[in-house]
Parts: sequence; C-alpha cells; structure tokens
Amino acid sequence: MIKFIFKAILRDKNRSLLPIIVISIGVFLTIALSGYIKGVFGDMIDQTARFNTGHVKIMSKAYAENKDQIPNDLALMDARELTTSLKTDFPTFTWVNRIRFGGLLDATDGNGGSKGQGPAAGMAIEIYSEPSQEVERLNIPNAIVTGAVPSKSGEALIGHEFANKLGVKVGDEITYMGTTMNGAMTFESLTISGTVRFGISAMDKGMIIIDIADVRKMLDMQDATGEILGYSKDELYFDEVARKVSNTFNAKYIDNTDEYAPIMLPLSAQNSMGSYLEMVDSFSSLFIIIFIVIMSIVLWNTGLIGGLRRYQEFGIRIALGEEKGHIYKTLIYEAIAIGTIGSVSGTILGVLLTLFMQKHGIDISGMMENATMMMPSVMKSKFTPELLYIGFIPGLFAMVIGNMLSGIGIYKRETATLFKELEI
Amino acid sequence: MSEKIIQTENLVKRFPVGDGEFTALDDINLSFDKGEFAGIVGPSGSGKTTLLNIIGSLDSPSQGTATVMGKRISSLSHKEAAQLRNLHIGFIFQVYNLLPVYTVYENVEFVLLLQNRSAAERKKAVMEALEWVGIENLAHKKPSKLSGGEGQRVAIARAMVKRPELVLADEPTANLDAKNAHAILQTMKKLNEELKTTFLFSTHDEKVMAYMNRLIHLEDGKVAKDELVQAKTV
Ligand SMILES: Nc1ncnc2c1ncn2[C@@H]1O[C@H](COP(=O)(O)OP(=O)(O)OP(=O)(O)O)[C@@H](O)[C@H]1O
Ligand SMILES: [Mg+2]
Repeated sequence: MIKFIFKAILRDKNRSLLPIIVISIGVFLTIALSGYIKGVFGDMIDQTARFNTGHVKIMSKAYAENKDQIPNDLALMDARELTTSLKTDFPTFTWVNRIRFGGLLDATDGNGGSKGQGPAAGMAIEIYSEPSQEVERLNIPNAIVTGAVPSKSGEALIGHEFANKLGVKVGDEITYMGTTMNGAMTFESLTISGTVRFGISAMDKGMIIIDIADVRKMLDMQDATGEILGYSKDELYFDEVARKVSNTFNAKYIDNTDEYAPIMLPLSAQNSMGSYLEMVDSFSSLFIIIFIVIMSIVLWNTGLIGGLRRYQEFGIRIALGEEKGHIYKTLIYEAIAIGTIGSVSGTILGVLLTLFMQKHGIDISGMMENATMMMPSVMKSKFTPELLYIGFIPGLFAMVIGNMLSGIGIYKRETATLFKELEI
Repeated sequence: MSEKIIQTENLVKRFPVGDGEFTALDDINLSFDKGEFAGIVGPSGSGKTTLLNIIGSLDSPSQGTATVMGKRISSLSHKEAAQLRNLHIGFIFQVYNLLPVYTVYENVEFVLLLQNRSAAERKKAVMEALEWVGIENLAHKKPSKLSGGEGQRVAIARAMVKRPELVLADEPTANLDAKNAHAILQTMKKLNEELKTTFLFSTHDEKVMAYMNRLIHLEDGKVAKDELVQAKTV
C-alpha cells in the first residue's frame, strides 16, 4: 500500500509539487533567517564582549553606576593585587585591565600652531607592558591600515578616519589633553605608531589606543584601573558560567558601605545585553511559531483544495470498500512523505545559504557611516547544528497538521454525498 | 436458485430538500435471487441510483429495511459497510471512475490490496480479470489513454477481480456507442453465466434491457412493474 501511495505522489505532480514548494520555501526561510539572526546577533554580542563588556567586568560600584561618564576618579584601586587574586580564584578565565578615558587630541603643525583637533575616546589596554592577548582579542593586527602596534612608551594607535580628520600620519606627533584621576589637567606628547579601522564607525572616527602602563602614568592612575575584564579561556560566552563567576566574586567582595568596593557584572547584566540575548532567543522562537502557523494555514488550504479535487478519488475508493479511516491514514502517510521531501530540500537549501552567508555576509558598512552603535560592518550568518532541525520539524508538522485538518472533511461528509460527486 | 441475495421491505428513502423532504423511494418491496441478471429501469429521477446506492451500502434507508447477503444495511457500521463492499460487491458506474494516477493493472490490483492479498495472488487474479474483458494488452496504460469502451472494460475487470457475489452497474453503457455497449453487455452476461455473479443494472437504454431476464420499472420512487422477460442470448 505504501508503495502505491509513493507511486501516486511521484506521478501526480499537482498533488505533491505545490506542498513541496511551499514547505521548502518555509523551511528554507526559517533556517536562513534563524542562521542570519544568530550570526548577526552573535557577532554583535561577541564584538561587544571584546571591545566593551568582557564576559564579565569588574568596576568599583560607584564607577559602575556612572560608567557612561567614564569616571576615572572612581576607579578601582589596588588593581594588581585584585587581578592576581582573580587569576588564582578563577583560573578558567583570563583577566586583563583596561582604562577608558576621554580627552582631546591636537595635531601640531610643527610651528607651535595646530592643524587639527578632535575629541578622542581613549582605551588603554595591555599591549606590551603585560603579556596578554588583548591585541589579538581586539583584532588589531587585521585592523591596522598603516604602521604597527605600539612597541614602546609614548606610542599610540589612532582610528584611521580620525587620523585623516586631524591630518596626521604614522610617525607624526600629537598631543593628548585631558584630566588625571585626581582632576588635574594633563598634556602628553604621543607618536602615532599606526592607524586602525575596526569597521565600527564610532571607533574609527575617534579612537586612540595606548598601552595601559603609559596611561597609568599619564592619568596618574598608578595601581588603579577603570575596569578589569574577564574572558573565558576559550573566548566563548556562556551566560550561566559568567553569572556563576559573578555571584561567587560578589559574594566574596561585597561591602555595602564602601562605594569603591569592586563589583563584577556578567555581559548579560551590562548595557542591556541581557534583553539582547533574550531577544535573540525569542526572535528565533517567534520565527518558528509564525512559520508553523502560516505554513499550517497554507497547507491546510492546499490540502482542502487538493481534497476537493480528490473527492472523486475518495468516492471511488469508498465504493471499492476502503474504510474512511484507512483513506485518512493514507492521506497522513502521503503528508509525511511530502512533508519530509519538502523539509529535506528546504533544509539543504537553507543550510547551504547559511554556510555561504557565514563566509561572505552582507557588507553594511555603507549604511553604517554615521552609526554610533557597536555593530560589525559585515553581517554574517552562523551555522549551528540546531538549524538542521528547527526548520525540518515544523515543516513536517505543518504538512501533517494541515492535512489532518483538511482530511477531516472526509469524515464530515456522508458517504453518499461524497459519492454523489461521482455522478457529475 | 431460491436463496435471496437482496431483499427490501417497505424501503423508503427521503432526502431533505429546503424545509421539507423529498421521497425518492417509496415503499419498495423487492427480492433478488443469486445469479439474477436484472435491470431497474425508469425515467430520470425515478430513484434508480438511490436504490442501487442503498443496496451497495453507500447510503441507508430512511424507513424499512434492505438486507444484502444477510446483512441489514441500516445496522451496519461504517467499517462493516466497507467490509461488505470490499469483499462482496462490485460497482460499475456510468463514468468509469478509474484512479487516474494508476495504470490499468494497478487500478484493478488496488481492490486486492485492500483485501491484503499476496503479490502472487494479486498478479494471477488481475491478469485473469483483464483476460475476461479482453484487455490484457492494456495493462500498463494510464486511464487517460483509453477509449470509452476500454475504460468501461477496466471498470468491469475491477469490479470482477475479487469475484464478488453482486455487481451493481449504474447506467454502464450510457457513454458508449452501440458496438461497445453490446460487447460490454455480452462480457457481463458471460461472467454472469460462468461465475454465477448476480448483476443488478440501472438503465434506460433499450439495448441493455434486451439482455435482462427481469425488469423492474420504477416511477416516482415506486415499483410500477416487475416482470420476467425473455433475454437475448449471447
Ligand atoms: N442527496 C440527495 N438530496 C436530495 N435529493 C436527492 C439526493 N439524491 C437524489 N435525490 C433526488 O432523488 C430523486 C431520485 O434520484 P436518482 O439519482 O436516484 O434518480 P435516477 O433514477 O438515478 O435518475 P437518472 O436516470 O437521472 O440517473 C431525484 O429527484 C433526485 O433529485
Ligand atoms: Mg442515476
């Protein structure tokens, strides 16, 4: 009997082709969109972790409350000691110090005048003064447009677009003007060792990166740090792990009276990343639910139309002595076969596009010219094993449910009326 | 020849029409012996198809009884009715009603698949049935490629393949030319004589009537005349 059903599916293209196409498209879209959402949001989260939040970040409580203002006067003290104990307490994480700072960059024209000036967003990282993977973590080697990473005191990297605006190039001198931790004015002469382009417009237009030892001197922050960032050793973010580490740390260091006491926040508790993470998950689920509903309705209707076309066939089969229940069952078998074919082809297409988009992505740097958001400029998909079933299962279900619903028509009609169609 | 294969008693069939009801069959009392070759004749709308549908357990009486092979039609479940049709009743329609995706062979085989017969049994029975009606050579054609006469032969083969006790044929020659109509009727008459299958026709075709041993005249849902006639011999 199964063989008979398959023969019919293969021979009657009208019966099978439309549902197969509908399912394929639905499954394909679900996979391609999920893969893309996962990829884009995943990249954004990854990017945010690298440049901003870490997997976990330690600040002083007071600093954390006002961190948008980069209040270095509220920075963490005894940074070295704290970092050392972090390394022993949480060996599965890598710990690094960073200082964010603001200020003004001034490009001198060599005659005591100025050829350009601009506000700078500074980031002090462990470049050469401490052994760390910060340079790689921030993807600096690839981001360098001209010059090289600073290798000695007095050198700085600046955003490529920033350098163009100021009219400076590698080897030129610039002056940093800002305030120290204690609120005093400070000036520092720096040599540009290189220019960088991260593809994040907000950074490329105003970024300066200096080794943290230099910045400590510059801002009078000896043994202080704005932030201590922790990254899991495999560089992958797992929210539960980050939360657990944070809870353990906070339980140990909590001090309600001291506003300079350190507090650790996981990525998900910073910059509303938590709702972001949830959004990724709920977006994907939402897609799948919408997909199932739409597909079921579409397939139910194609099932109904197909069913109408097939009342004659059902009538004949009933006259030949087939039970309604058996006809219904064969309809469901057919649905399973067609649903499987459609879902498999949709999955293959969806995964192929995802793999392609994982490699090539869509370049949105043009659109991002003036954006201040931390977003990667090439939006890539990400293949995850769940893509193999998140489209497949709903595709199959939609087809089977759609046919179960439309097949009820066989029962609703009286045998004789179903049969009347034969006389026309 | 006294065993009754079909018996109706005070059979009434009413259909709901608008607010009221329409009586399609009114107090039908008929009985048929095994091996009869009988025709129900009458003008259009007289209730021929309705009567065949009830006898074939595709519909049930509003009142009275119809008993086919000892089974009360009105008390059969869907399943039992299907079983009765599956094992004992063959249908032949005005339009041949073949399943278009299947070949001639498969259309005939389908009936036996429903009976869960083995592949070997099916093959033997199908080829035999195709031979009875003289279309072995068409086994692998699709219904859409057949002429009217060929199509109706397939329908006969499909009805006969399971060797049913009863064949119900609703205007089987309406779409055929005279030559094909005669050929089909001769085939059925032959099967009736060789296999002792009971045939019940509905028709208003004179050619068909000529082959019958018995004619039941329906008028407005009532039996107007029930006569034994001298049948044309094959
Ligand atoms: N399902 C139904 N609902 C309402 N009326 C019906 C239904 N089926 C049949 N009828 C009516 O019952 C009467 C008998 O119909 P039936 O089909 O049995 O006639 P018939 O003798 O086979 O006619 P024909 O020679 O045209 O095939 C007709 O008037 C028809 O309109
Ligand atoms: Mg009729």
